[in-house]
Formats: sequence, structure tokens, C-alpha cells
Amino acid sequence: MLCYTSLDILDIQWIWQFFSSGHTNNWAVLVCTSRFWFNYRHVANTLSVYRSVKRLGIPDSHIVLMLADDMACNHRNPKPATVFSHKNMELNVYGDDVEVDYRGYEVTVENFLRVLTGRLPPSTPRSKRLLSDDRSNILIYLTGHGGNGFLKFQDSEEISNVELADAFEQMWQKRRYNELLFIIDTCQGASMYERFYSPNIMALASSQVGEDSLSHQPDLAIGVHLMDRYTFYMLEFLEDIHPASKTNMNDLFKVCPKSQCVSTPGHRTDLFLRDPGSVLITDFFGSVRKVELTMDAINLTDPIKQMEEDPVNGEEQKEVYSYADQLPVSEIIHQKPKQKDWHPPDGFILGLWTLILLVFFKTYGIKHLKHIF
Amino acid sequence: ENITCTKNYLSIYLDFWFPPTFLHVWRLDFPSCTSQGGQRFLVKMAAPLTLLLIVAVTIRAALFRSSLAELIAERVEVVSPITAWKRVVEGLALLDLGVSPYSGDVFHETPLIIYMFHFLVDYAEITFMLADVITAVALYMAVKEYNKQVFRKQKFALEADRYPMDSLELIRSPKEMYYVPLKVAMFYLLNPFTILSCVAKSTCGLNNAVLALFFLSTIKRNVLLSAIFLCLATYQSIYPITLCAPAMLYFMQRQYIPVNFRRVSFWWFIVQYLFMYLGSLFVLICLSFFLLGSWDYLPSVYGFILSVPDLTPNIGLFWYFFAEMFEHFRLFFLCVFQINVFFYTIPLSIKLKEHPVFLIFMQLAVISIFKSYPTVGDVALYLAFLPVWSHLHRFLRNIFLVSCVLLACSALFPVLWHLWIYAGSANSNFYYAITLLFNVAQILLVSDYFYAFLRREHHLTNGLYLKRKDGSEATLILK
Repeated sequence: MLCYTSLDILDIQWIWQFFSSGHTNNWAVLVCTSRFWFNYRHVANTLSVYRSVKRLGIPDSHIVLMLADDMACNHRNPKPATVFSHKNMELNVYGDDVEVDYRGYEVTVENFLRVLTGRLPPSTPRSKRLLSDDRSNILIYLTGHGGNGFLKFQDSEEISNVELADAFEQMWQKRRYNELLFIIDTCQGASMYERFYSPNIMALASSQVGEDSLSHQPDLAIGVHLMDRYTFYMLEFLEDIHPASKTNMNDLFKVCPKSQCVSTPGHRTDLFLRDPGSVLITDFFGSVRKVELTMDAINLTDPIKQMEEDPVNGEEQKEVYSYADQLPVSEIIHQKPKQKDWHPPDGFILGLWTLILLVFFKTYGIKHLKHIF
Repeated sequence: ENITCTKNYLSIYLDFWFPPTFLHVWRLDFPSCTSQGGQRFLVKMAAPLTLLLIVAVTIRAALFRSSLAELIAERVEVVSPITAWKRVVEGLALLDLGVSPYSGDVFHETPLIIYMFHFLVDYAEITFMLADVITAVALYMAVKEYNKQVFRKQKFALEADRYPMDSLELIRSPKEMYYVPLKVAMFYLLNPFTILSCVAKSTCGLNNAVLALFFLSTIKRNVLLSAIFLCLATYQSIYPITLCAPAMLYFMQRQYIPVNFRRVSFWWFIVQYLFMYLGSLFVLICLSFFLLGSWDYLPSVYGFILSVPDLTPNIGLFWYFFAEMFEHFRLFFLCVFQINVFFYTIPLSIKLKEHPVFLIFMQLAVISIFKSYPTVGDVALYLAFLPVWSHLHRFLRNIFLVSCVLLACSALFPVLWHLWIYAGSANSNFYYAITLLFNVAQILLVSDYFYAFLRREHHLTNGLYLKRKDGSEATLILK
């Protein structure tokens, strides 16, 4: 129960704003879809967003980070065990506390879609799962090489915008998100959010259809481009955000105008139920815990019933619960008995041996019959 | 009778140790003692043959027990999709699960093989060793009988003075032909190709056994059995149908039916033989239908052999061509390649109508070179016949080349396979080059023997030292 009494109107407004978003937890899915040394900037993009998101409060347990992770220990890296972002040129976004959940060849379209929809095999560890519920706000950040309607995963496969839209619809129907912010930094990135049709999705992209997203300056010591422009300016913007800031989405839409980015960033808010001006950046990039203050004691449940143990028929009262048998090992390991042992038909055996006997006697004469009978 | 026979026999032997004139020896009544002498031959040769069989079985049993058995069973030169033992086991397992073994692309054997191995699958090794033994013994007996006929014909020809004087050194003597059957059995049993094929449990060994029995029954002048064995061989792989022609020619020769298109007896015999052959084929196919209750096996066995859908590399010529061929040319080239096997029958039969056994050898060689899925087991069968023509060695021109190429190719097959598949530093062209070379060497071998045979026949009719009309020396060219 909340104490209204000593508060004034502004505080009331502030309180309602506190509860206006309706989410209780935050998740982030950050995916870098490229590998190889020359795609350094995509990894640096993703790791920079990872750092910002962690700084703003989302813990590693709520971040699913998918990287090819072949930059820091690449033999072409002149500064091993580091991945630098262009911010200050000295910020090592790799550090020693980065937790990559899907690395190397695990970053596939199938794994990405399985993470989103939750259809993972039972043996998948928690760190690789997106355990969101219908009160989760999810930030999804994708970067890599893309085209009109597709995004390339690790040089061998693609995800199309239709697949992505369907995955989000599955998430909506399974109540796996409250609101979703989708950011994509690739060439022709706007094509990836064209097909969304599920409610409560807001999307940002670094370039429109037909435009390329460009990278920022290269670092001559490392030899590759360190970041992409859109992410670079977005991170500059995010540096000013702290967990209590009130900046809203409209400011994020203004990040990286054409003069700085060369490409035209785009956004899509028609599926989003709230007004973007009322959506805080920290609703998605940070993890602001909702705290409810009460002064009263609350009775949680009724008194717990004791199991009545009847000494006469104690076994009947006990309900034995067991897990549903998902893998019937005993049926699989034990050989199935041969239900139908195939045997050649009797007519066939009879016909064949009659023939053989006929040929034998024709060849060698009937006189051999007496040796047999 | 017996005593004179024995004396004659002994005197032949003594005469060979102290050679008088050649003609004098040959005027003796050697062939009248044939039956007695034949039994002596049999008794004298049983022991070495048994020893050879024991040695061969020991080698195979030793290899079966070693770890090489699985290695060899996977080699593509030894097993093909038609003959692989793995596929037989798979087909039987499918059958036990209630599924037709011909569903899918696994099993391409005939239903009779299913019937046989349904009961013998636990004794498979013994079965294949027995098949090799049967082949060797059948070839042995057949070649012995053939030698006797060669002698008889030679004797008649000598008595009729059909050979010119200077070609008498080409006449074959019992001494040189004494060991030929044993050599044939040895060439088959101790050939590394045969041993590999047996250890891999390739059903090619069974096919070879049936073909050897066909040969034996043909030589022993049993028309029904010959037709039945040939039908069994055709039923398993289609190509032995071309052996109908030499079998018919042989029977006609033995029954003194002239090979003349205008004679009724010629056509009547052909009708008889074909009736027996086609009748047994029909019976076999119907029996196979009754075994599994469906006609599934027809496209799986015969459709597979004829349309060559599986392009696993082997020692043949089909796979590489068809791997790189465009779809719309495929049917045309398929017809061309398949006709190539059957095409040589008629010309060879016309040329070799007096010598049907050599025709059988040539046909077997043509089949094993040009069939759609050849293996080294097929090669081993016709290589076993080579000692029968060992008297042609003075006319063979390419022995050294052919033997070197065959040995080198046999050694290079596994090497280039490893380089292509495992090391990744070669590609299919390397392997195909060796395949091509192997087949070229086989063709050269066969054509060399053909040349030598024809040349010997020519010399036997025209004399050894050929002279042109003006008396200068002439040479013989095969055009």
C-alpha cells in the first residue's frame, strides 16, 4: 500500500510515470552476425552496446550475447585480448568480464530464432536462454552485413525479414515480451523491420532501403575500421544516459542525422501502443527495478494443510507425482522384439526346391532317386 | 587293353624324356587311353588341388579374423553398390522390421540372395569361401575337359595332315598342358583381387561361382544346366546374357550343327536353347515375385544396373562421365555406354565361331571392363583364364607393358583415393585417370590375347614362317 498523503501533484505524476511502462524486468539480445578479422567493427559495435547496457543495470544473466568472438585472440590483432571501440580510442570493450553466450559457429539463424522463441532443447543452460515473460522489455540489437530484406549470418546463411517478423509474432503469442525495441545497424537495415506485424514493437535502423551503413574512421594501429557510424553516435548518446535519466525515445530517433551518418536512419513506431515520447531510454537499455514500499504486513497464503497420515491405508492417500516421461529410454534401449519375423512364403520354398530337384534328376537321371528314398 | 594302354602311356612319358622325332610321338594311340589316362590325371592332380584349396581357405580365414576385413569391405574398388555386403545386411534388417528392402536406395540384390542369406547370414564367411572354392574347382574341371577336347581336335587335325610342317612347334603337348587346370585354379584362388573380394564379402564371388558353373556345364555338354546357370548369372547382373552366343556356338560345334544361317538345324538349336534360357529366366522372375510378394525388385535391381543412378567412384568408366554430364544428354550417353557392352558380341562371334571358349574369355573380359559397376572380383574371373592361353606367349606383344600398368594402377588406387578423399590434395581427376589407365591396360591385355590367338590360328593354317610370293620373309599385322 502506498502512502499518498504527504505527496503533491508533481510527485503523483512522477509516481504514475514510475508505473507507466508496465514492465518488470529487462532483457537484451545482442547479436553480431559476422566473423573474420575485417568485420572487427561489428564485434566492437555489439560489445559497446553490451557495455552500455551492463552499465545501465541489465545483469549478464539477462543478456544473451552472440558473437563470433574471433577478434580478441585473432592472430592478426596487434593488441591481443582486446577489442577497442572508437570511443576515446582506448576503451577496451572486451575486458575480462565479458560473457559471450553464443560464440563462434553457434551464432546461427537457427540458434537465434530458438533463443527468441524459447524452443531450445531441455539441455540448454540458462545463460543461453531468453527467459522472458509477459512483463519483460527486450532490447534486440543486430549488426553485420545485410541487404534488402535479409541479414547475413556468418557468411553461410541468411535470415529474412519475414522470418524475423514471424519469430516476433511467436514471441507475442507466447507472451514472451511486454515491449520490444529492435535496433539494427546494417546496410539497408530498414528493410528488416518492414514486415513486423506484432504489437508493441519499436524498431530503429541505421539506413534505409537502398542505402549502405558506413563505418567510422579506421584505426591505423589495428588496421581495420573500429566501429560503424550509427552505433558510434548512438553510443555517444548513450554515454549521457544514467539509470535515472528521463531521456525518451524521440531523442534516440534524432541520433546520427544524415550529416554525420551519410545514411538516413529510420524508425518505426506504428506498432507501439505508447507514445514514443513517453518511453524512456532506460525502459529498454537499463534495468530499473520497480520497488513497492509497504508498511503493512501481508498475509500471503492460508495455513499450510498437514498431510493426514492414516496408519491403515497410508499408501492410498499419498499421490505420487512424477515427471512426464519425455525420453522413453527403456523403450529405446531395449531391443524391440521382432514382431514379425519374416520368413519366405511356403509356396516359394516349395516351388524353388521342386525346381532344383527336377533339374537335378533331369541332369543326372532318375536312378539317383533310389539313393535318396 | 589296359596293359597296352598303360604301356603306351608310359612310353609317351619316356619318349618325352628322350625326345625322338615329334611326329613319331604323335602317331601313338594316346587318345584311346583318355578315360584311363584321364582318371590317372584326376588322381594325380587331386592332391595338389586339395593343397591349393587348403592354402587358399587358410589365407582367407586368416584375413577374415584380422582387422583388415572391415577396411577391405569399405574399399570402393572391391565393393560396389550392387555387391556390397553392408547393403545385404541392411536389406535383411529392413526385412525383419517389416519394410520392403527395396524401398530407398540401399539394397540392390536379387530376392534369391535375400532367400539364401536369410538363413546363411551367420555363416557368411564360410559361404563366400565356399563360393570361391566352387569357382576354382569348377574352372579346374572345366579346363581339364577343355584340354582333352583340344587334344582330340589336334589329333584329328594332325592325322588329317592339316598342319603345315613348319608350324608343328605350335602344337600343344600334354606335358605343357598337364598343369594348366591347376594353374587356372591357382590363378583364381591366389589372385589378390579374388582374396580381397572374398574378404570383403562381395556378392561378386557368388556371381563368379555361377559363371564358373555355367562354364563347366557348357564344357560338359549339358544344355539344360548351362542354360539354367547362365540364367542365374543373368538374373543377378544383366550382362552375362552376352554369353548366350558362345554357349550356343559351343554346343553347335559339339553336336556338329553347322553354323549357317540357312540351315534349319541351326535355328532349331537356337530356339531350343533360348527356350530353356528364357523359360528358366521367367520361372526365376516369377519365383522372386512370390518371395516378397511384389515387383519392387525389378526397378531396384535391373533399373539400377541399367540406369546407373549411383555415381560412387569405382574402377569403371561410368561414374566420372555421368557425374559431369548434363541431364538432357544423360539418356543418350547411358544408351551409348550400355550398348558398348553388348555390341562386341556379334562381331566377335562371327570371327571366333570356331573357338567358342576363347569367345567366352573375351566376352567375360568385355563384360568386366564395360559393365556399369565393375569390381576387382570381375577382373579376377577372366584373369583366371589366362593360363589356358599360356601357349600364346610367344605371340603376345605387350606383356611387360600391361603387367606393369596393371600392377602400378592397382597400387595407385588406394593411394590416390586417400589423397583425394582424406588428404584433400588431389581431386577426382586423379582417381579417374588411374581408372582410365587400368581399363586401358585391361583392354590392351584382351586385345593382345585376341591378336595372339588369331595369329596362332593363322600360322597353324598357313605355316609359321610366312613367305611372300617371291620367297622373302613376310610379317603379319593385325588390322
